[in-house]
Amino acid sequence: MKSSSAGWGPQWLLKMSPDKQDTLLKMLVLSIAAILSFSTRLFSVLRFESVIHEFDPYFNYRTTRYLTEEGFYSFHNWFDDRAWYPLGRIIGGTIYPGLMVTSAVFYHALWFFNITIDIRNVCVFLAPMFSSFTTLVTYWFTKELKDAGAGLVAAAMIAIVPGYISRSVAGSYDNEGIAIFCMLLTYALWIKSVKTGSLFWSCLCALAYFYMVSSWGGYVFLINLIPLHVLALMLTGRFSHRIYVAYSAVYCIGTILSMQISFVGFQPVQSSEHMAALGVFGLCQMHAFIDYVRSKLSVEQFNILFRSIVLMGAVVSLSVAAIGTATGKISPWTGRFYSLLDPSYAKNNIPIIASVSEHQPTTWSSFYFDLQMLTIMFPAGLYFCFNRLTDANIFIIMYGVTSIYFAGVMVRLMLVLAPVMCILSGIGVSSTLNTYMKNLDVSRKDKKTSKKNVDHTYPFKNEVATGVVFLVTAFLITYTFHCTWVTSEAYSSPSIVLSARAGDGGRIIFDDFREAYYWLRHNTPEDAKVMSWWDYGYQITAMANRTILVDNNTWNNTHISRVGQAMASTEDKAYEIMRELDVNYVLVIFGGLTGYSSDDINKFLWMVRIGGSTDRGAHIKEADYYTPQGEFRIDKEGSPTLLNCLMYKMCYYRFGEVYTEGGKPTGYDRVRNAEIGNKNFDLDVLEEAYTTEHWLVRIYKVKDLDNRGA
Amino acid sequence: MRGVLHFLIGLTVIFCIECKVKQDAIDGAIVNSKVDRKIDVSTHLVKMSTSITLENTGKSPIKSFLYALEPSLQNYLSIITANVKDKDEKLGVSQTTVASKKDLSFWRIELPSNLEPGKTMTVDVDSSYAHALTPYPAEITQSQKQQVLYNGNVYFFSPYSTKSQTTTVTTTNTAIESYSKSPKPVSQTDRTVTYGPYEQREAFSEAELRVHYENNSPFLTVTNLERIIEVSHWGNIAVEEHISMRHTGALLKGPFSRYDYQRAQDGLSSIKAFKTVLPAAARDVYYRDEIGNISTSNLKEMDDFVELELRPRFPLFGGWKTQYYIGYNVPSYQYLFNKGDNYALKMRFVDHIFDDMVVDQVTVKIILPEGAKNMRLETPYPVTQGENQLHFTYLDTTGRPVIVIHKSNLVEQHIQDFQLHYTFQKLLLLQEPLIVVGAFYLLFLAVIVYVRLDFSITKDEAKESKMRVASLVEEVQSAHDRRSALYQSYDDAINKYKSTKDANTFAATRKKVDADYKSLTQQISDRQYKDLVALAITLAEKLVSGKINKQQYLDNEKINKTKREDLDSKMEALRSSLA
Repeated sequence: MKSSSAGWGPQWLLKMSPDKQDTLLKMLVLSIAAILSFSTRLFSVLRFESVIHEFDPYFNYRTTRYLTEEGFYSFHNWFDDRAWYPLGRIIGGTIYPGLMVTSAVFYHALWFFNITIDIRNVCVFLAPMFSSFTTLVTYWFTKELKDAGAGLVAAAMIAIVPGYISRSVAGSYDNEGIAIFCMLLTYALWIKSVKTGSLFWSCLCALAYFYMVSSWGGYVFLINLIPLHVLALMLTGRFSHRIYVAYSAVYCIGTILSMQISFVGFQPVQSSEHMAALGVFGLCQMHAFIDYVRSKLSVEQFNILFRSIVLMGAVVSLSVAAIGTATGKISPWTGRFYSLLDPSYAKNNIPIIASVSEHQPTTWSSFYFDLQMLTIMFPAGLYFCFNRLTDANIFIIMYGVTSIYFAGVMVRLMLVLAPVMCILSGIGVSSTLNTYMKNLDVSRKDKKTSKKNVDHTYPFKNEVATGVVFLVTAFLITYTFHCTWVTSEAYSSPSIVLSARAGDGGRIIFDDFREAYYWLRHNTPEDAKVMSWWDYGYQITAMANRTILVDNNTWNNTHISRVGQAMASTEDKAYEIMRELDVNYVLVIFGGLTGYSSDDINKFLWMVRIGGSTDRGAHIKEADYYTPQGEFRIDKEGSPTLLNCLMYKMCYYRFGEVYTEGGKPTGYDRVRNAEIGNKNFDLDVLEEAYTTEHWLVRIYKVKDLDNRGA
Repeated sequence: MRGVLHFLIGLTVIFCIECKVKQDAIDGAIVNSKVDRKIDVSTHLVKMSTSITLENTGKSPIKSFLYALEPSLQNYLSIITANVKDKDEKLGVSQTTVASKKDLSFWRIELPSNLEPGKTMTVDVDSSYAHALTPYPAEITQSQKQQVLYNGNVYFFSPYSTKSQTTTVTTTNTAIESYSKSPKPVSQTDRTVTYGPYEQREAFSEAELRVHYENNSPFLTVTNLERIIEVSHWGNIAVEEHISMRHTGALLKGPFSRYDYQRAQDGLSSIKAFKTVLPAAARDVYYRDEIGNISTSNLKEMDDFVELELRPRFPLFGGWKTQYYIGYNVPSYQYLFNKGDNYALKMRFVDHIFDDMVVDQVTVKIILPEGAKNMRLETPYPVTQGENQLHFTYLDTTGRPVIVIHKSNLVEQHIQDFQLHYTFQKLLLLQEPLIVVGAFYLLFLAVIVYVRLDFSITKDEAKESKMRVASLVEEVQSAHDRRSALYQSYDDAINKYKSTKDANTFAATRKKVDADYKSLTQQISDRQYKDLVALAITLAEKLVSGKINKQQYLDNEKINKTKREDLDSKMEALRSSLA
């Protein structure tokens, strides 16, 4: 009564019809989640600057810039002579162009409206923007699976889940940034088409799948999961015309579209990774045909027919597979795929795969670190899904179970797990709250009359409900704090600029990488070839604009091995290799002065292993670089082979004269905590060309051959 | 340009390719009675200040005289100015040629007043030459000191005969390796080498002057400068300078050792940092290059300027290059002046980059607001104006006009203001906000229309009837709301009546509310509340007229009030059930 004349107050909100209130609330929660997911990824931009991070993003950034400047066709036909000297690389045919095309489209659209934003900023902010989209898609997906409430919880969770943030902070301009969005979009559309059985949704799903294929190699997971879902539906007797229509359409259109990506090419019909999808497609046809035949025939006739067809089908498919494998039409199982199935495969067989830290198996702590309470709520979500099994629920169960396995195999695939964790936890939290909120006795104290109606199915119903609600709330709050803390501390450093706390609490910035790259860019000949370990290849081409021998696209093992051999050999041997490869400059990363631990000496054993893994490097044996006790030491006790190899000499050239820490002798390496064993040596075939301020990057010039008689 | 001599802001005119050069003849009547030349080669520039005492030995007065550039320096000239001794006023200087000496470069200097026959006048001519010093040796190692060679003329190179002259060369420090010792007299004290005095030399007399000395001052050259000035009539001028620079001293030979550089502080000729002076009002200063922010800079705000200490990403040794850009904002009221729709922009053509700066090439781009017309440029020295361009950025439709100006070979003395006049209709200022408003308006309109459109092919009866009911409910709700408001005003009126006891006002208010109420009751038949209100009115009237005592009134009022509240909550319930 009193406030009825207030007009536009909260009263106005209450007077809106529940439909409108519902919409408003949903939109409010969703937009807050979307904004949050964007802004929580901006730590590094605020702390440092709008800069591309890490290694691969630099390549993506470089190619995007090329695409925006030169147009799509020259991008498609781009032969890059700056990389893999002297082989070069056909960029257009060896990358997933989705990311670059997306940025270029944004860029051109903005420029069309005279919004003159720099392409670098488009690239930097693309991943956070796509995480906002992911938040929206997650809502929709979960809504299709369960209800809007669960959708909102899942959306809020995925907005800040560290497992996803690790790959999508501002500046982390990588395929995964948009691929997770594509993946969830494809799943959502797949569920929609399974539920409706409409061609419209199936076609949209195929288009989303095409986008996914164009943007990430992880699409293989998708094209195996969807058939798996269909198979599960068949086995549980849930196969219907809806699923037949959905899968047939998605598979056919999706496969044809995916073959348009030149990097994928004919793989969808040749490689073993795609065979499951083809097989399930065949099964679908048979299942549908059998259903049709069964409806026309008597039971006995049908049984005979069925048995003979199954036998024939098995024989034919086996022989086709055998012939295909024998003739190489069905490509042999690739190493990366094996390592998915057997975590120790790569480590034992392919050093280059094992050398990448993100290909290591996931530890338990990193599950908690990246997902926090989701690890607990995930089984709850699974329980609620099993509770009311539908076609769609089966899908999310399969997705959850398979991805948790893959995430256990490779740290990198945590990214695939994070969304399903959020979705299932969203379902779990929402269902839990739904159950217990009903039990809450919310009636006012002054109306005690309702007490009589309380049912006594179990005691302290209200109290238990209150407890559960509080517990879940507490969980959610700690989740938020944990996620923000992880994002801010662990996932927001650009790694191209390092920072450290100074003694007085201020911040010291180590900008040595860019210092060195910029020096290369301006003070070396335009056509100089730079040799470095492959980790820095992308950064050198992007920032220094110089030709490099090997880069992060590790497609040619022998070439990388050759560089490893040069690094691991003595100066004379290395000089031969460097002359052979036309090297002008050599770049090494050295952390001994500042204590930067991921430097080349710490990576050196990988160079030795990879260097020794090919025929030409057979003389390089890992054991030679250890002490007789089997230790990797750089001090006087270290193996002489190590103390005289090129990498050691380049890192420690003249380091023996430097005092690094008080109370320690000269040449004290602050990473290995040891005084170096080989001081006061000269370089014969190299000369120091540039060393950065904190000695992080050291560049050497390869001397020309001596004049005859000199 | 156009063959007209520029006498702008009392300043000078210098070397300009497009100038159509005048023809002059050497006037034999002029004699340099005394010439005092000071050549300062302590930095990477050659700064020559010549004090010439002219004597008119002829019959007729002289208006101007010729100044010849030494053949060894004529390709390096950056700027030349002249003034009468002890006077600030600059004299007109223009390039000219002499038919008999085709290969020499002459400058004609206008005298402020005619030099009558037999009279003398002393004129100071200052000139600066960039890149005139040759590093010798041309390549040095990191620990070596940089030595340079200055080649000049011992005599004042003049188209007139000179009676008496001296030349002093000032070097960086006392470490002078060698200098030419003829013609006598030549003497060295500390860091100066004095040649002369020499008596009675002919016109165009030459003798090699050669000083080889240590010079570790920064040999820094801006090879290319692009200065972009973006004017906004919303009160801001954004300046951005893209700078490519190079160490033009002796090239670095052999390795660069960071250890030696950090320990021994050698590399004397290398450039670690330099200071750029920005206008006092400069804000939001940034210092970047194509791969991101350069974190090594310090900003100091002084009273009348902002000092920016810039450290390139790496120290510059001989032959090393780098590129960067800096940008800042300044408020437009300091630089933009207007009278009606006529505007004048008055800013520096180039600004300070480092002390004793040398800029080989400069391109200035001035971006004016969209709709600016009738641009007219006035510069303190001749420049080459490029073709105007259009620049498109946020919210532009037709593009912003861009004035492009080129000039080469600049030094510190070129830091002078240019003026750009143009007209701009103030109303156009509203164009961009209106575009934003319009865009949002269209967006919301589109959403409103879209939400109300029905694209379904089949008719959904249930949905339609639901919507119909919803609209009816809404109507009833609003009627209830209005009625509640009326009851509220009844209450208010009663309370007021109780406190003021003004029967007339009460009656008037009541009449008005009654009228409103009647129209509403046609919509709603629920009259209970009204009856209660009527009861409240009678009770209140009774109380006021003293018909019942206060206790009685309070009791009655209490009963009445609970009844009303009860009804009120009933109505709320009805409303929410409808909703």
